[in-house]
Amino acid sequence: MKASCAATLTRDADHWTGRFVAMASPCEILIEEAPASLAQEILDAVSSEAWRIERKYSRYRGDSMVHRINERAGQETVVDDECANLLDFAATLTRLSEGAFDITSGVLRKAWTFDGGEQVPSQAQIDALLEQVGWHKVAWRRPALALRAGMQIDLGGIGKEYAVDCAADLVQSIAPGLSCLINFGGDVAVRNPRGDRKPWRVGIESCARSGTAQRVVQLSRGALATSGDSRRFVFRGGHRYSHILDARTGWPVRNAPHSITVAADTCTQAGTITTLAMLRGEDAERMLRSSGMQYWLQ
Amino acid sequence: MKDTDSFNATLAAATCALLGSSVATPVVAAEEAGRWSFDSTLLYYGESDDRVSDVSAAVSALRNFGDDRKLSATLTADTLTGASPSGAIALDRPQTFTSPSGRAAYTTSAGDVPLDDTFLDTRFALNASWTQPLARLYMFSAGFGFSTEYDYTHLGANLSLARDFNKRNTTVSAGVAYSQDDIDPVGGRPLPLSQMLDVGDNSNKRDGSESKDVLDLLLGFTQVLNRTTVLRVNYSYSDSSGYLNDPYKLLSVVDPVTGDTLTRTPGGLGPDGVYLFESRPDTRTKQSLYTEVKHSFGAPVMHFAYRYMTDDWGIDSHTGEVRLRWPLGDGYIEPQLRYYTQSAADFYHASLVAGTAVPRYASADFRLGDFDATTVGIKYGHDTSSGNEWSIRAEYYQQNGSVPREQIVGNQANREQYPDLSAVIVQFGYRFKL
Repeated sequence: MKASCAATLTRDADHWTGRFVAMASPCEILIEEAPASLAQEILDAVSSEAWRIERKYSRYRGDSMVHRINERAGQETVVDDECANLLDFAATLTRLSEGAFDITSGVLRKAWTFDGGEQVPSQAQIDALLEQVGWHKVAWRRPALALRAGMQIDLGGIGKEYAVDCAADLVQSIAPGLSCLINFGGDVAVRNPRGDRKPWRVGIESCARSGTAQRVVQLSRGALATSGDSRRFVFRGGHRYSHILDARTGWPVRNAPHSITVAADTCTQAGTITTLAMLRGEDAERMLRSSGMQYWLQ
Repeated sequence: MKDTDSFNATLAAATCALLGSSVATPVVAAEEAGRWSFDSTLLYYGESDDRVSDVSAAVSALRNFGDDRKLSATLTADTLTGASPSGAIALDRPQTFTSPSGRAAYTTSAGDVPLDDTFLDTRFALNASWTQPLARLYMFSAGFGFSTEYDYTHLGANLSLARDFNKRNTTVSAGVAYSQDDIDPVGGRPLPLSQMLDVGDNSNKRDGSESKDVLDLLLGFTQVLNRTTVLRVNYSYSDSSGYLNDPYKLLSVVDPVTGDTLTRTPGGLGPDGVYLFESRPDTRTKQSLYTEVKHSFGAPVMHFAYRYMTDDWGIDSHTGEVRLRWPLGDGYIEPQLRYYTQSAADFYHASLVAGTAVPRYASADFRLGDFDATTVGIKYGHDTSSGNEWSIRAEYYQQNGSVPREQIVGNQANREQYPDLSAVIVQFGYRFKL
């Protein structure tokens, strides 16, 4: 674990670049002209914040709050304010998506493996797992949460975007007005425009050729989030099923765009809209168009 | 609409509750589309011994209209000066020739390979292409090309279609290109295998232009082997028909014993030896197979390419090339090595022997002979802080050819039959956006 806990800072032509790994993603922070000590302080704060959120909300870590909630399914667990805010937010998304998005849907992954193959579980298997899915089956009376026995929650769908916004706010408090671009695995936020008025340039990776930027978005302020299935999907009967599962049916969304990128004021909003649009499958673009947000599809 | 408003309001309120009081200011984002990017190059090519030199300037403009729709156009201007071998063999005596225009004569010193030094040309070329997706996974491209120089006009068009498979890791493409070239040689077009005549005598030349049609078919296959390696294989078939001669190339007719060019008494100003204009078949079919592997070792990228070409004139060629792009500071350095070898055309004759049957097709053009060539080069590219790139490339080209032993007659063995050629190439490039 220690190996991945290293953050490196390098000096580029007109900015600093800090790099580290968190939440299973390469993370990056670009800082406009600033003294080295300030750049280092910002990188330390941002990386610590990312690792804090990872430690607290990863369902894979034995010491995480999410793990504790899941372990205690069947009993009540009292959560802190931050966790309660995330649960409230998740509940709002479930409502906005009419149940398609649900943080209790993670158990469905026991049936689905998204490795590009044709492996599809039986309906009986899915029906059995659906017994354990549904936010309405959860007793949530802030600050106490009680899952039914066998249920689990997973905040992976919102955690990374939330971490980007938290990191951006943290930078604001350390160096108000300084322009930084925070990029956690493709989810990006900028709070202040750069002093030289030049926008940050964000490449949106092409599905076809990973590693090559297909489009470049100039971001002066605000956030971008991308949701895609370029490497995770199941093919069956001529349909391409993305890795995004509809919590109501237990089946992956059919014929969704390969990738959706949305620009919004905060990364959390952008990420929410990409996720909810993905869940609409074929109707993703219609929803994006009516949302009035800037978006890019692939 | 109302639903959307309430959706957005609900989301904004929920986000605010999650992230606390620090309300972010509105997003300012724009796709970087509609910008023109330019690639300009200035190239100098100079052959040793003051043979051909070429200065070429090119500007390519590319505009990305978003959604993978792209327009590109390239404008090139070339100025060639110098002299190229005419095909006549070197002798121990001076040789006099009628110039291609038929209005003057020129003399080559004893021991020198005869060069046609009236070689001066300016060429302009324009190429443009449009690329766009046709349906999901399909990419379509169409283009045309035009070039003009004083005795030559080229007009061509091409179409290609590519489809992605296998999670877009495999691309299969097919293309077709057709071109028509018009050749209007200075001083008229000599009848194949007719003898070079005195200044002012154009009885063996025909006025008007001739044309050449070329049809190319291309099949391509690109496979992403893994995150660091890409393989590309192209097969191409090319069919040329029409006027394929070089109207300025000659063959010396030599004595079967001495190997020296037969002498001729000019009736005024004109050639003092017997020289015939070359004759090539009026069709040529080429096939080539090209394989390229690109592999990245982290930041350094290695490019390896091999091409095999074979045609029905009897020429087989092999080209191998290796390039390694190595990051260096704010740029990269890229050494390059290329090797080329070809066998001679069936009708390549260094000279024609008097008293033997004149073949139907014959050419002494060194470019149809047996030769190999090595190019070593290095390129340095530098990225500027504004995202532009300038580069400089220097190459050294060395060509060595030979004439088959059985074609060497008498005294020819003591002279250079296939002069070596070396050339220097220097190119400056600047890539920028507007």
